[in-house]
Amino acid sequence: MNKFPLKISTPEGVKFDGGAVSLLVKCTEGDVEILAGHTDFVGTLATGRARVRSEDGNERYASISGGFIVVKGGEVMLATDAFEYADEIDIERARAAKENAERKIRNAANDVDLGRAEMKLKRALNRIKVYELK
Amino acid sequence: MAGASMNDIKARIKSVESTMQITKAMELVATSKLRRARERVEASRPFCTMLGKMIDTVKGVAPLAETGWFSANEGKTLFIMIAGDRGLAGGYNSNVFRLTEMLAGGKEAIYLPIGKKATEYLRHRGRELLLDYDILAGDVRVGTAHRLSRSVCDGYLEGKFTRVVLVYTKFQSMMTQLPVYEELLPLGGESTSDAAGDPIFEEEPEEMLERIVRHYVSGVIYSAVCESLASESGARRSAMNAANKNAGEMIDTLMLKFNRARQAVITQEITEIVSGAEAL
Repeated sequence: MNKFPLKISTPEGVKFDGGAVSLLVKCTEGDVEILAGHTDFVGTLATGRARVRSEDGNERYASISGGFIVVKGGEVMLATDAFEYADEIDIERARAAKENAERKIRNAANDVDLGRAEMKLKRALNRIKVYELK
Repeated sequence: MAGASMNDIKARIKSVESTMQITKAMELVATSKLRRARERVEASRPFCTMLGKMIDTVKGVAPLAETGWFSANEGKTLFIMIAGDRGLAGGYNSNVFRLTEMLAGGKEAIYLPIGKKATEYLRHRGRELLLDYDILAGDVRVGTAHRLSRSVCDGYLEGKFTRVVLVYTKFQSMMTQLPVYEELLPLGGESTSDAAGDPIFEEEPEEMLERIVRHYVSGVIYSAVCESLASESGARRSAMNAANKNAGEMIDTLMLKFNRARQAVITQEITEIVSGAEAL
């Protein structure tokens, strides 16, 4: 299969830099799979899972929380605040975060707190889900 | 009399030694912090570069020129000034202050200080601050940077200020840290459509640009804080290293003085004994 250059960056470091044959991410409007030769594209990422198939046939799942994907001249850039491969996820922490968020949702005093807690819960659930894909 | 001066010298040596113990400990702490801070800097740099590239890709789309992110209007400037939370780091804090003052040139401006020393400096001079709460440089995480970016971008869109300049210290190496500034907003460069055609936007381009810009601002702030923290440790390490050297030299000179004084006492005692014996 044809490959394309892919780079995945987070503030904590570069998570992927090399050739890939497929990248599946969840954008705000739904799943998007990028293959070699994709047209120029700009998308916003939602909290969700990503699947990276590298050129050596390795397939890995990862959790993503927000960010952007830009395809420009065949080159794919993905910038996100948090990108964790399934085997890197701290499952205990994610479970604790889930309980914490659920408690906050129950006790939320206003809409802002509720919104924040819901985002937290979403991220925690996403991590747990991706962990189980391992 | 000679005995008293010997005690004086002894006391001074003791005091210099205890100061040296502190500066030595601080050097060790700075060295180990520097290692971690450097890793953080190296990790955060590519992220920033990528967001910058994304903006370059997006800003080629024609209607985006009217969004206000590119045009420079007359108005106040917001200075984001990143310094440390503590002193004893050589010229680290004051270099940033000096550069900011030079850029501001005495004109009215709004400030967003990051780091305790920066906040104290500006508050002491009664400058207008953007936020009513303090931010410690050591506490800045990605989430903090997002919050700051929201305040900065909202203020920019409301027209509270029309220019955003970031002043921080770039980490070049263990020995050199450079105070630098960066024009954050309005976005530089021409907003011209490129020949290859516009990319497909998942949503409205204006909305996407705004999101990317907000993310970019937070990414740049985060990365600048990382650079500054590493620079602070580097500057503190150098300053403490110099302090250790000075203290060592001081102890050496004092030791020499002390030995001389002791020898003088002994010589005098011998002279007294000899002359006493002769008198017999």
